Amino acid sequence: MPATAADNQATKSDVRMMVTLNRQPTPNSKTPAAECACPVIRSSGFSLYYGAKIGVKDITMEIYPCSVMAIIGPSGCGKSTFLRSINRMNDLIPHVRTEGLLEVDGQNVYDKRTNLINLRQQVGMVFQKPNPFPKSIFDNIAYGPRLQGIRRKEELQHIVEQSLKAAAIWDEVKDDLRKSALALSGGQQQRLCIARALATRPRVLLMDEPCSALDPIATGRIEDLIGQLQSTYTIVIVTHNMQQAARVSERAAFFCLGELIEYDRTEKIFSNPTKKQTEDYVTGRFG
Amino acid sequence: MNLGVRRTLDRLFTGLTGASIVLLMLVLMAVLGPMIYRGSGAVLFDGTVEFRRMQRDLFNRADRDALSAEIAETDEARQVVYEMIDRFKKGIDIAAMSSQAREINREYGGELRYRDATAEEYTESREVARTIRDKLEEAFGSQDIELIRKNIAEVLAHKDEPRFKGTVAERFFPLATDFLDAAEHIDLSHYHDYLVALDEVEVLLFGSAERPGLLGPRPNQVARPLAMTSYGATRWDQAQALLDRLVWAEKWVEKEPGRPLVKERSPRAAMFHGTALEPLFTYVPEHIDEMLRPRFTVYWQFFIDDNFDSHYFGGVGPEIIGTLLITVVGMLFVVPLGVISAAYLVECASEGPVMRILRMSINTLAGVPSIVFGLFGLAFFVLFLFPKLGFEPKACILAASLTLAVLTLPVMIRASEEAIRTVPRSYKEGSLALGASRFRTFVTVTFPAALPGILTGVILSLSRIAGETAPILFTGAVAMGPVPKSIFDPTRTLSYGSYDMAVGDRLAMMVPHNQYGMVLTLIVLILILNAVAIVLRSRVFKKLKGH
Repeated sequence: MPATAADNQATKSDVRMMVTLNRQPTPNSKTPAAECACPVIRSSGFSLYYGAKIGVKDITMEIYPCSVMAIIGPSGCGKSTFLRSINRMNDLIPHVRTEGLLEVDGQNVYDKRTNLINLRQQVGMVFQKPNPFPKSIFDNIAYGPRLQGIRRKEELQHIVEQSLKAAAIWDEVKDDLRKSALALSGGQQQRLCIARALATRPRVLLMDEPCSALDPIATGRIEDLIGQLQSTYTIVIVTHNMQQAARVSERAAFFCLGELIEYDRTEKIFSNPTKKQTEDYVTGRFG
Repeated sequence: MNLGVRRTLDRLFTGLTGASIVLLMLVLMAVLGPMIYRGSGAVLFDGTVEFRRMQRDLFNRADRDALSAEIAETDEARQVVYEMIDRFKKGIDIAAMSSQAREINREYGGELRYRDATAEEYTESREVARTIRDKLEEAFGSQDIELIRKNIAEVLAHKDEPRFKGTVAERFFPLATDFLDAAEHIDLSHYHDYLVALDEVEVLLFGSAERPGLLGPRPNQVARPLAMTSYGATRWDQAQALLDRLVWAEKWVEKEPGRPLVKERSPRAAMFHGTALEPLFTYVPEHIDEMLRPRFTVYWQFFIDDNFDSHYFGGVGPEIIGTLLITVVGMLFVVPLGVISAAYLVECASEGPVMRILRMSINTLAGVPSIVFGLFGLAFFVLFLFPKLGFEPKACILAASLTLAVLTLPVMIRASEEAIRTVPRSYKEGSLALGASRFRTFVTVTFPAALPGILTGVILSLSRIAGETAPILFTGAVAMGPVPKSIFDPTRTLSYGSYDMAVGDRLAMMVPHNQYGMVLTLIVLILILNAVAIVLRSRVFKKLKGH
């Protein structure tokens, strides 16, 4: 993690100034340009089985940093399975078996020596349904940092504020951080969940249909937010909404029946796909 | 189906559900109503002066001066009763009177010896006294009123003789007059029946060594060993019942041969018709208020007092303490154990034959009769485990609590399991996705979210633990004994106390108010404990829901 003690110390003194000036903070103190060269997530011949059933089969792709990658495809095609493979959330399901290679930052995810806790803090996740914990807003955001061992009140407050600002929800909740997160509206809850994921300072953000439970206005705000986060994080988003994929992503992958059919720049997928299957799907003739 | 029919059906359904709820309430009232009514009698009743005396003597709790004045006033009213009884006794207590006559004669003889008298005078006086005694004895033993009159007249002829002036022998004459007076009114052929009937009346009024009477022991009477027989009717309802038995004699008579006996009530006054005792049966009912002074009493100390004579007097203080102790200690075992077991079953256990057997065992355990747990507790905790751990192998609170914990563990596990299982998967996933370990996720997210359900389990096992009798029968409950000093002492409890009162002895029939009071206390105690848990649960629930 680049977010080390030095980083915290640098920002700590800024807290008061930032609060008094009420300035928009810089999203995160990383320099995107330097890291954009090599892929963050690399998968080669990756397959996953639920017992005898195939989840995803032989996926080979590379996801580049500081960009939004959208995964589209019909229901049950393995989009979510692949997404959840990246932070090993599939481990919860019994009898799961994997083959091939899946790397995050050059580290094999399914290696026995992989520290699951570190992996999941590097790879944040936002779920389909907003799932804030039944705790206060503050405790929700501070959950991840606390897991990292941060106990100091000021430090936690700083992280909470930064994360809420980064998720563009700070102005709505700043007066009542002690309020239960469940009292927020659906859209606010989803942005809170994004803030919660950002609080651990991840490199990658996985979004599993983050807008499917929201109304168009809340969806619009989340999409704006994704646009803002793009400069700092690598975002992988699964969506059923092809307009959304077209709007937010730079690259898109089309999955069908557990296989990666096509992976290319988004404009190309939607305007001029190579494969017939992709064309049928994006034009609405199939799926 | 048209709209009208559908609407009717809807209404019918609503009506049915409403009716079932009303029915449920009625059943509840039918069960609890009498319990509450009769149980409240232990606390709210009309207490007599005897009750206040008892409170002063046994619990050191009274306005002493006011009470002394009150007792003096009631004694005045009671004096009439004492006199009536004494007067009547003179006529019929022949053995007593004969020995009295002999006593007087003997004493007179002794007295003569110290007199300054000649030998002739001495001999003559002794002779006369002896004649009087013999005549009296003849009269006492006779059933012929003529003979009695003659003998008594002969005795009374000596009344004015100077030799008896100022001596013990003067006491012969009141004895003679009293007896004649009584004999004139009494059918002497039935004097033995009178004796029996009088004894009955005396027991009803003054009690005996075994049973308490209406007014309590007479003043100057020898103190009785039991507290319960040292006082009269302490409660107005008791007084009424005793009064009824005093006024009406009950007899089982055979109306038709071969048929069951029939109880027949007859006025007791008829037995004493024409005697000096007859007015007693009108005097006592008329003056009972003055003799007992009933006053509405709120005996709230029922909940803190110890009892006397197997709950004849006093309250259920030690029982409440014991019940609370056993419940708290039991909950200390069952809640952590239940939650941890449930967490294991939901979060960690893999599905296999071993787990299936384990689950089945838990379910079966929930259906085992509680007496079996009692014997298990005795055999395992008291007789096996305690000596192994270096404790004395005796029934105690710890053993009782452990036994109850085992008994309610299935309930707790099932409730917690259900609660943990129904925590949304998304909570767990959210926590895991943030890098939390499974243990951390359980402690910080799953457990707080499952808390309302777990508290439901707590409520269920709480009621069970507080109310169970059979498991603590051999493992920690006693009917009598001091308030426990530690969890290694046995204790009294409300549940066991209720059982013991019901089966223990016939005393309970004399104090049903205390029996019902104890049961009501148990119900109220459980309700309070539950209410606390329910309030706690609703607060947790509200917090979770974010209102």
